[in-house]
Amino acid sequence: MSLRIRTLTVTLAMMLAAAVIVPPVPAADDVKIALVAPLSGRWARQGQLKKMGADMAIEEINAQGGIKALGGAKLVLREADAGDSVEKAVSAAQRVLTREKISAGIGSWLSSFTLGVTEVAERLQVPWLTLSYADSITERGFKYTFQTSPVSSLQAEQALELVTDLAKKNNRPIKKAAIVGDNTAATVFFFKPLREKLLAAKGIELVVDEVWTPPLADATAIVQKLRAAQPDIVFYGATNFPDSIQVLQKVKEFSVKSPIQGVGAWLVTPEYVKTLGKEMLDSIQTVVATHPMKGQEEFVKKFMQRTGEPFMTQDPLCTYGHVWLIKEAIEQAKSADPKAIRDALAKIDLTSGPAATSFYPNRIKFDERGRRVGATPLIVQWQGGEPFTVVPTAVATRPVAWHK
Amino acid sequence: MVVAELIQYVATGLLVGGVYALMSIGLALIFGVMRVVNFAQGDFMMLGMYLTFFYAMAGVDPLLGALLTIPPFFALGWVVHRGLLARVTGGGDPQRQMDAQLILTLGLSLVITNAATMILTPTPRGIRTAYATQAFALGPILLNQARSYAFAMALVLAAGVYVFLTRTDVGRALRASADDPEAASYQGIDVRAMHGLAFGVGIALVAAAGGLLATYYPIEPSVAGNFIVLMFVAVVLGGLGSIPGAFVGGLVIGLVQSLTLLVLPFQLQNTGVFIVFLLVLYLRPQGLFGRRARTV
Repeated sequence: MSLRIRTLTVTLAMMLAAAVIVPPVPAADDVKIALVAPLSGRWARQGQLKKMGADMAIEEINAQGGIKALGGAKLVLREADAGDSVEKAVSAAQRVLTREKISAGIGSWLSSFTLGVTEVAERLQVPWLTLSYADSITERGFKYTFQTSPVSSLQAEQALELVTDLAKKNNRPIKKAAIVGDNTAATVFFFKPLREKLLAAKGIELVVDEVWTPPLADATAIVQKLRAAQPDIVFYGATNFPDSIQVLQKVKEFSVKSPIQGVGAWLVTPEYVKTLGKEMLDSIQTVVATHPMKGQEEFVKKFMQRTGEPFMTQDPLCTYGHVWLIKEAIEQAKSADPKAIRDALAKIDLTSGPAATSFYPNRIKFDERGRRVGATPLIVQWQGGEPFTVVPTAVATRPVAWHK
Repeated sequence: MVVAELIQYVATGLLVGGVYALMSIGLALIFGVMRVVNFAQGDFMMLGMYLTFFYAMAGVDPLLGALLTIPPFFALGWVVHRGLLARVTGGGDPQRQMDAQLILTLGLSLVITNAATMILTPTPRGIRTAYATQAFALGPILLNQARSYAFAMALVLAAGVYVFLTRTDVGRALRASADDPEAASYQGIDVRAMHGLAFGVGIALVAAAGGLLATYYPIEPSVAGNFIVLMFVAVVLGGLGSIPGAFVGGLVIGLVQSLTLLVLPFQLQNTGVFIVFLLVLYLRPQGLFGRRARTV
């Protein structure tokens, strides 16, 4: 008994020791970048996907000789777990940015987290790249925040434009719409303009408007309302996987036939196929900041081989692009100093290379607020158990299929 | 139509509450017998969901898989009690014991969640069952099949626990140890063994509840966070340590969550639960089924 306890104590002590031992000290000229993303808690999967993209880019950059302007300095990733609350995300950012010199940072997936994390980065004057959608991220006059994604309200506008157009072409004009989703920041900013002006401007009646705080206990009441109202389109934002699964299962159970237009890349992860089956997903579409486009087939294949993922989505692709973008900025700044990198990012204008091709359109230039100029969302649609870019047609990997 | 809608809300609430009820019984049993607040209860539920998932991968129907989680988790509970909890219960200053137990179960919860994230990865998994997306139609009322089966099995398991506690000698010994450990030991009852039994059964029940939940709810290492607060509310609502109380507490939570939607927006779904919770605590501090606490 006592031996067992001793073994257990020793094991625990070793685990604790492993946790406090500082990671190997990098060579003096290594450039450290931070990734603050949820690696535990209910959004951990998204953090894992982001890390895959970051790791891939760093490996490529270092294999190609590192940062040339700094004599071949290597890039090193410092990741911090944003956990499952804004408080945890903020303290993770605080920790990672104060412990050692970080040249630039990336994160933190959920807009609500990003809002908090960018405040820390702004205060500590570290340039921060984010894929988060919420408009408010770049509405606070911050100098160190750079948002590569089209903001939520713009996504709402373009998604609405697209679905009304598609519906018209299919002789099923949209007269009634539903809004169903959680109250995390990106979703809120997507729904707000729809609810307040966009739908009314197109003469579309809002027949269901249900917003919840994750986690959702049960989706019956929501889907019951959808069944009763039979909207011509459902705008859908359920970032928490179990919530989304419950809603989609109910949609099938109650035979709700309305087309679903999601907002965000959470709706196109491989686990959806495993949990719901590809038939249920067919023709569900979502608007995302980026997704593998025409011409990226080889690159995607490389990603799949590295990670064992069945396909690539926004989260790894964006983070891959962000790491390359930081690399380009350091090259232009010829310095690993955060302020110099920030200034380089503010001036950068890239139209080629791995960073630029990770986003649509393939150009990276930021306006004075830190928003990428011309950023346009893509529409991704499930077809046969895989999500394909379907709009805009210039970069689509499959033609769009309207809901039967 | 309005009546049908109301019935649908009540039915949905009860179905949701059935699984809450089964989850909560285990917690109540552990608290009732051992006076241990087990913060790791939700994590054992998560492990039960994973085991059911792995059973399903091997071709076992998840409803049967949920039942098959009971023996291994009973053993696991027994081992955890023997190896860890027994060291901080029984004898000594009660206040310090309570502190040690809280820290132990909280630590256990963190270790289990993070170990699961490391070993099983954060990727959510789900068991695909036909009954998760099908319903029994009773006129205009739709009852989700997975939830109905889970509800029925939760009832059977809860009834089994009740019969075990009230009709068998071991059950009586267990209750005796809960009521007065000292007197029970004078009667020749091995209180420590009873604690192990209670912890084993408590863990087995929550694992089975997890298995039933897994028939319609995705599985991920952090899933416990979605349920642990509700479990505690159910147990306190029903009266700390009362098994029937925890069962009813679970049902009430499901029901209130569902009926709240008739008057409040979705975002405030759990507000209803906590309002009812506060009301019960205010009007009946010992909980619905609780006895007035022994005063010191």
